[in-house]
Amino acid sequence: MTAVVRARPSLFHAIARMNFVDIALWAMRILVLVVVIGGTAGTLIRSRYGITEWLDFLLFGVTIGSIYAQVALGYTMVYGVLRLINFAHGDIMMTGAFAGYFVANGTDRSGLLAADPFLAIVLTLLVSIVVSTSIAVLTERLAYRPFRHVRGLAPLICAIGVSFFLEQTFRGLFGSSIKAYPDLPWKPADFVVYGFPIPKIDVLVVACAILSMTVLYAIVHHTRMGTAMRAVSEDADTAALMGIDVNRVVVFTFALGGAMAGIAGVFYAFVFKQVYFYMGFTPGIKAFGAAVLGGIGNVPGAMIGGFFLGIVESVGPALFFDGIGIPAPYQLRDVIAFTLLIMVLIFRPNGLLGERLAKQRA
Amino acid sequence: MRSVAIRTVTHAARNGRRAFANALQRRRTWLAAAVLGGLLPLLFPPPACAAEAPPITDTLGVIRIPKGAPIQIGGYWVISGPDTALGTDSMRGAQISFKDHGNAIDGHPIKFSVEDDGCNAEGGQTAATKLAANPNIVIVLGPACSSAATPAAPILWRAGITDIGTACTAPALTAADRKPEYDGFVRTVFSDSEQGKADANWIFSKLGAKTVVAIHDGSPYAQQLAAVMTKTFASLGGKVLSTEAVAPTDVDMHPVLTRIATEKPDAIYLPIFVAAAAQLVRQAPTIPGLEKTPLIGGGALMAPELIQAVGPGIVGLRIAYPDVSPEAMGKGYPAMVEEYKKMFGEAPISGYHANSYDAATMAVMAIKKVAVTAKDGTMYIGRKALRDAVFATKFEGVGGPIGCDPHGECAQFKPAVYEFTNADSTTFKIGVNPKRIYP
Repeated sequence: MTAVVRARPSLFHAIARMNFVDIALWAMRILVLVVVIGGTAGTLIRSRYGITEWLDFLLFGVTIGSIYAQVALGYTMVYGVLRLINFAHGDIMMTGAFAGYFVANGTDRSGLLAADPFLAIVLTLLVSIVVSTSIAVLTERLAYRPFRHVRGLAPLICAIGVSFFLEQTFRGLFGSSIKAYPDLPWKPADFVVYGFPIPKIDVLVVACAILSMTVLYAIVHHTRMGTAMRAVSEDADTAALMGIDVNRVVVFTFALGGAMAGIAGVFYAFVFKQVYFYMGFTPGIKAFGAAVLGGIGNVPGAMIGGFFLGIVESVGPALFFDGIGIPAPYQLRDVIAFTLLIMVLIFRPNGLLGERLAKQRA
Repeated sequence: MRSVAIRTVTHAARNGRRAFANALQRRRTWLAAAVLGGLLPLLFPPPACAAEAPPITDTLGVIRIPKGAPIQIGGYWVISGPDTALGTDSMRGAQISFKDHGNAIDGHPIKFSVEDDGCNAEGGQTAATKLAANPNIVIVLGPACSSAATPAAPILWRAGITDIGTACTAPALTAADRKPEYDGFVRTVFSDSEQGKADANWIFSKLGAKTVVAIHDGSPYAQQLAAVMTKTFASLGGKVLSTEAVAPTDVDMHPVLTRIATEKPDAIYLPIFVAAAAQLVRQAPTIPGLEKTPLIGGGALMAPELIQAVGPGIVGLRIAYPDVSPEAMGKGYPAMVEEYKKMFGEAPISGYHANSYDAATMAVMAIKKVAVTAKDGTMYIGRKALRDAVFATKFEGVGGPIGCDPHGECAQFKPAVYEFTNADSTTFKIGVNPKRIYP
């Protein structure tokens, strides 16, 4: 047997074989790199922002990123188990925030919020979790289960329909005006660490987000139900043959995702105060982007994707666009976030941590 | 008929299915042509059998309203979402005016159909397309938002419909160099070219700020108003440190506020809408460096929703607004406010109801002037003649004197500054919360 020795194709040959699409993709990569590196260099040279401002940006990014991460976990778990993108997940976050609004407002008016803020927050979270979990489980039972074995785009369209349904139902029930969460009564509102003020609410949000993500990770990797979830996401038919009740696993997944979304909704509302029927749409889209960024179906990936997106959104305009002289860079914040998402996907189509599929199928 | 069918089938049996289909198609076509030919005289009767020819002609078309049929007047405002108060208030102003005219013009009842434009370009486009598709709409009132008016007015004018704006103040809509597609647009509200200048004057001279940062949200209204204000501010000797932009649905304002804090402005000017403004007002005091910086809002912020969205931080917020106190308005204003309260059970929820009342009055006056009623009671209105009549209308409105310049600007402007005094949204009352602090 003679081995065929193939000469390595030279760079010249590679370039000659490029078609228009390859050239366009490479041009995009180079443009983004120029903006990122040139912008960063420009901003640092100008040194308009001190270390305090950069830490501020980072902190805001981590705060909003933790919320994106929690919502992204819902997307990624449902995709892993059902191979369905649950577009209504952002609106489930909205339902949690809305339910929490009534409790938060009530505790504020009755004075409980001022007297014992932790109890008030816990109550708000409990009600929000109950509501968002119930709605998530209901949507699974009524809207997604009939489509369990339908191929094609029908389940996805159903998810979009559920999203519209939730938004308009809440609009019809509670009106279209903005409702505001009460301010938290802690005074002063900041911890001061080495002269740098850190808002207490941000610390609370990030700490609770990390706690809930840790609990989720523990559930997924160290409990029987979590193992069942991972089995179903690897191969649903074989898991059923092994005696796993797939329906129960799916319901559990939706409940878990709904609970995370409810917590994220309440914290989002405490930080950004405004609650209205459409508030779940944009964070939902961004969290979905974050889940894809980290590798859809991958739980740690969703967490990393969420934090990455939040930080890029917060730091990006100042770091990149300010340096190359673009005025009012914050209008282009979403452009940066999603361009970076596209860039990561071009370089790593399966996301940062790769899509978790079975490596070997017998 | 039966023999035709049998011939067709036999023909097909000989030549296969395709021939059958062809044969049937030919028979069908012949039959359809015969039927249509028979119906033609009924569908398009010779003119002698129809109503008499209109007594007027018009280059843009004539609207024909049979005896007793309603005169259809359209309207489009933002009547849902965070800025509901702005649009609903305008709609109510028009409704009061129609009621004062007996809800009828020359014996024809007024049918007022209102669309929701959501205060954005897509909504304006949708609303205008719907209204323009109705050939019986005589005239349209609204909108409240320049973002909606910018795409909507050309759509309406292409259908020959005149649009009287009630609260949309972007300078470009009645600028001297506006495109011909806006020829059918007038407004009974001032232009922001005046508001911007007045705001700059107040911030520089009365507030004493020598440096300012302006924040807009990309909408035509906010962007153009911020541009006028910064230009005037610079010409007065002040320094505009930067002009920032946020999206109207943006929630996290900390990064942009941190950036602004590094410039240390004496004041921040935010002529934007309720949702984004509420976020900025709430988050600005938490940014180191901006705790005491005064924020000056614009004309879209006179709404109880703003108080609800901001919470306790609203106390002390100032907004630059046209002077809507009774002394500054026309003579009929107090009576109009009383009627508002009687009809809708609450005090006015925004500041442009008087402008809208005047717009409706203007529409009614113009229609009365150009409408021609034939002997059989049918009313005819020429579209171009109506537009010219609107431009020529002059009267003392409840918001002040109304008279249009050649570019559609029909109202006067009196500047004022209001300050919010109470964080309870149920205490909202123009003149009390917020109260006028200038002049």
